[in-house]
Amino acid sequence: MRHGLAFLDWVGRYLWSGWAGAAGLFCIAAAWQAGHELYGSFILPAPLETVREVAKLAQDEAFRYAARETAERAGLGFALSVLIGTVAGIAAGYSFAAMRLMRPVVTVILGVPPIAWIVLALIWFGASGGTAVMTVVVASLPISFAGGLEGVATRDRTLDAMARSFDAGPFMRLRTVTVPHMISYLFPAWTTTAGSAWKVTVMAELLSNAGGLGGDLASARALFDIPRVTAIVLVTVGFALLTEYALLQPIRNRLEQWREAGQPWGVKR
Amino acid sequence: MRLELDRIGHAFLGRAVFEDLTLSLGDGEIVALVGPSGCGKTTVLQIAAGLIDPLRGRVRRHYGGHAVVFQEPRLLPWLTARDNIAYGLAARGISKAERRAMAERRAAEVGLLARDLDKYPAELSGGMRQRTAVARALAVDPETVYFDEPFTAVDVGLRRVLQDLIIAACARDKFSALFVTHDLAEAVRLAHRIVVLSDRQEGIVAERILPGMPGERDDRSVFDTVQAWAKDPAFAALFDGDRQ
Ligand SMILES: Nc1ncnc2c1ncn2[C@@H]1O[C@H](COP(=O)(O)OP(=O)(O)OP(=O)(O)O)[C@@H](O)[C@H]1O
Ligand SMILES: [Mg+2]
Repeated sequence: MRHGLAFLDWVGRYLWSGWAGAAGLFCIAAAWQAGHELYGSFILPAPLETVREVAKLAQDEAFRYAARETAERAGLGFALSVLIGTVAGIAAGYSFAAMRLMRPVVTVILGVPPIAWIVLALIWFGASGGTAVMTVVVASLPISFAGGLEGVATRDRTLDAMARSFDAGPFMRLRTVTVPHMISYLFPAWTTTAGSAWKVTVMAELLSNAGGLGGDLASARALFDIPRVTAIVLVTVGFALLTEYALLQPIRNRLEQWREAGQPWGVKR
Repeated sequence: MRLELDRIGHAFLGRAVFEDLTLSLGDGEIVALVGPSGCGKTTVLQIAAGLIDPLRGRVRRHYGGHAVVFQEPRLLPWLTARDNIAYGLAARGISKAERRAMAERRAAEVGLLARDLDKYPAELSGGMRQRTAVARALAVDPETVYFDEPFTAVDVGLRRVLQDLIIAACARDKFSALFVTHDLAEAVRLAHRIVVLSDRQEGIVAERILPGMPGERDDRSVFDTVQAWAKDPAFAALFDGDRQ
């Protein structure tokens, strides 16, 4: 009961803090409106016009299917890249030899331009979802890798020795000493990955003509349907905002409650 | 005998810290290990607690479990005081409800209030953190406890309180303790026996068995003992501030 109330309290506070974020978004909308009034509808449709277009698109069965396709690809790409990158990063953080081996590999991956990956993936996977997924994975893998590596490398060894003095096993030490510390390195990496997963998916879809929102964007451009283009952009941005603020941030906020203890206002209970 | 260190030697990066150190710890005995800064006290303690392996010699432990109180509290910042105290119990796989009950009992013993138990370490005062660290060590019902200068950072009044707490806990729970300190008065107050570690890699250079029981010695006799030892060559390094 007490825990339930505390949870509701936290949910309420998290939602309330959304007002500040909404204020920022409305500033962007105002600038957008100003741009629209300056250049006219053909160059930049008004925000309201775009929102209406989004509402219209949401009714469209084909568009809903395309959006779901993109969401699945971006989600799969995100999950794979975060999983592989983080696990490899943790392994590299623990093992000096693994780090020496993997660092240059990651630098090589970073050095290849994403557009080259798209071309390669097109050759390997053809015009299918695989191209988008693979591009997301290779483009954002290094970020999670670096996060995992830094997180493990900077763990507090004195706390690790404390845990060993209580005969805590390797898994318990990872769970109670290393992972809570790593969270603050991993979450920035994961939010960056989530944001770029959407962008890269749409880009790869557009270039590989593999359907999804990117495919829709390509045909809207061909038809010079500008409101539709901005509507698709808005939907993509909306997805990115949703993953960050409805999925990743609440988890981080929950896990890092203890950090508020060091703040002047303390932990709210 | 709870612990026997037999002719151990250790070196860091080829630099010897000590050679041929032999030390034992009896049942229910508190041994104070004193010595000047940098002579290797922490190293001896870590070897005894199995946190590092000695280069030479043997360590024999004849006890079920041990706990270490470090020089700094070393609390996990992401756990509340209660969960920190229960950490050793969690490592032993004890159920959550049981852990809570045991942690609360130990917290009361070291003078932590129930309302402080939900706080994170960052919200505790320095003294409360050190109490939490002591409670965490005692919570696992250790047969041997290793203290590494645990009270250097707390004020004189609280230090006495915490010393008394350890004396009482030792008498009640019958654990043995190796207590590292560079404060002779502290050693004289709470130990059965004092050993002095050389700062010239010679191992233990002096040993004194203290009369009476810990906690029964009054301040006067503690003071007199320390004063008398100030002239003793075996303790010279402890009083000579120029070395270092
Ligand atoms: N991890 C380490 N690597 C290299 N040298 C070390 C390491 N730990 C300790 N030393 C060296 O070993 C010597 C003994 O260190 P130790 O920490 O045991 O001293 P101490 O007696 O506990 O000192 P203090 O009273 O100041 O805590 C010192 O010269 C120190 O520089
Ligand atoms: Mg030390």
